[in-house]
Amino acid sequence: MLELRLVQGSLIKKVLESIKDLVNDANFDCSATGFSLQAMDSSHVALVALLLRSEGFEHYRCDRNISMGMNLGNMSKMLKCAGNDDIITIKADDGSDTVTFMFESPTQDKIADFEMKLMDIDSEHLGIPEAEYQAIVRMPSAEFARICRDLASIGDTVVISVTKEGVKFSTRGDIGTANIVLRQNTTVDKPEEATIIEMTEPVSLTFALRYMNSFTKATPLSSTVTISLSTELPVVVEYKIAEMGYIRFYLAPKIEEDEDEHETKPQV
Amino acid sequence: MGIKGLTKLLADNAPKAMKEQKFESYFGRKIAIDASMSIYQFLIVVGRAGTEMLTNEAGEVTSHLQGMFSRTIRLLEAGMKPVYVFDGKPPDLKKQELAKRYSKRVDATEDLAEAVEAGNKEDIEKFSKRTVKVTKQHNDDCKRLLRLMGVPVVEAPSEAEAQCAALCKSGKVYAVASEDMDSLTFGASKFLRHLMDPSSRKIPVMEFEVAKILEELNLSMDQFIDLCILSGCDYCESIRGIGGQTALKLIRQHGSIEDILENINKDRYQIPEDWPYQEARKLFKEPEVFTDEEQVELKWTPPDEEGLITFLVNENGFNSDRVTKAIEKIKAAKNKSSQGRLESFFKPVANTSAPIKRKETPGNTPKETANKKTKAGGGRKKK
Repeated sequence: MLELRLVQGSLIKKVLESIKDLVNDANFDCSATGFSLQAMDSSHVALVALLLRSEGFEHYRCDRNISMGMNLGNMSKMLKCAGNDDIITIKADDGSDTVTFMFESPTQDKIADFEMKLMDIDSEHLGIPEAEYQAIVRMPSAEFARICRDLASIGDTVVISVTKEGVKFSTRGDIGTANIVLRQNTTVDKPEEATIIEMTEPVSLTFALRYMNSFTKATPLSSTVTISLSTELPVVVEYKIAEMGYIRFYLAPKIEEDEDEHETKPQV
Repeated sequence: MGIKGLTKLLADNAPKAMKEQKFESYFGRKIAIDASMSIYQFLIVVGRAGTEMLTNEAGEVTSHLQGMFSRTIRLLEAGMKPVYVFDGKPPDLKKQELAKRYSKRVDATEDLAEAVEAGNKEDIEKFSKRTVKVTKQHNDDCKRLLRLMGVPVVEAPSEAEAQCAALCKSGKVYAVASEDMDSLTFGASKFLRHLMDPSSRKIPVMEFEVAKILEELNLSMDQFIDLCILSGCDYCESIRGIGGQTALKLIRQHGSIEDILENINKDRYQIPEDWPYQEARKLFKEPEVFTDEEQVELKWTPPDEEGLITFLVNENGFNSDRVTKAIEKIKAAKNKSSQGRLESFFKPVANTSAPIKRKETPGNTPKETANKKTKAGGGRKKK
């Protein structure tokens, strides 16, 4: 038996909007601690990890650890039918092959039930070790989304470099190049407008902008975004979800080609 | 060609060993491709209508070049690193099979002549396909083209399939791409079908994993090879009346061809005289392949632009604009192969949650469900 009641139903709507284009099908895992998901895109370049802690729900009942395979496109279709102020309840019975989404209007004068078929998904679960990152940048999420969108109109990849000076986003394309530098800035009126850079070592990594732009679909979830970088690791782009959890996107960097492959001329 | 009915046998008995994958998801992977097989397909498919083929000014066929050029660019654009492996000398045991194919071709040539005379379009189409033969000239043309494109070429000492599998086993390539199922019998750890199909057909790539096949069929590699020989391979005849399904049952029951021969009803099944199954087994287990670093050096280099233009445009009448554009594509593709994968950073772990869905009927083991008509790949989604 599973029953999760979320007063701020729009959160789960926004979560779905942010991941449905990256991942088609995924298993949602429910346990006493919370409602979570881990899934990779089909080419295994990006991974999304979602956690909504049980305390964040008005009512949370989960008798045993279970996973529910869902098609995210279909789930999103159903959640779109919920109003932004609606209270959303997710329900499933033991042994059932469906999940029910219930939408209640704030005034309790309208109640809608949507039942969706579950799927069997054999997905790989990756172990993500806790790591110390060489550089962590916290910045306004809208600013990050803007930078990724702007750069994507010039090139396909972004080089993110963090130095003492600040964080630099650069790209190169057929029509030219672009460089955007953000400096640490903590003297702002609102704390969420700050740009904070914590760095133990300078780091520079290259990523596909296509994925970054997909991650920024999570912007409505949080006014700030945290980008964690280390030379030997995928980047983590994290959006906090209210007080109850997070959505983290991991993206494998682009790797320099082996030098020896360029040495020889074709022998004809 | 290949192993008779193996695809179906696996779809019925080991559905988990085959997975549909997107073509794009193989970026950055090194893939060994059986060249002769591909050339043969190109000659059949590319720019052919009836007896007419794509030719250059001198009237020489260029379908294979067109096919090889465009498909290889498609692989490169998707960020893959193809290696083409060409056949060497066929093993003695295959000569019988080759002779059979030769005589079929001779028949088809005669039939074709008749059909042309009668003007029957359908028959012309049918028989002209059967007369297609890959010549040494075709092979040499393709090797030259590939080298100009900067794609490595390996000339196998004997069977290309076996060499592909050896490259895969030694980890030099990620997978083997062919349409010929005996790649699996040669032990290629990952085997891809439909990788070289034209994009217009929109067929997903089918990935087979030998380790999973053995696990699902509950056989050892030696037993799997015996199963393939019994099902029917290129190297020797099979026993009449024994197909894949029976062969699997017999192997599970008796364990090896030797024990099967001792136990089966010889009146019901006629065992061929002088049946060289042991030699066939040896060809699969210890095929003649290069393992030396020197002989199979795999290097992807930038394309030789002038060389390609001379060869394709000047010698073979390709459209110069299209070739120039294609060369640009090859160069642009070089940057694409550098995307990393998450698996190289994070390792898989077991998930602790159990699916909420109840199993259909208690006691229904996965194997039994598999025996029912679970279609390849379609078996994953229930309901």
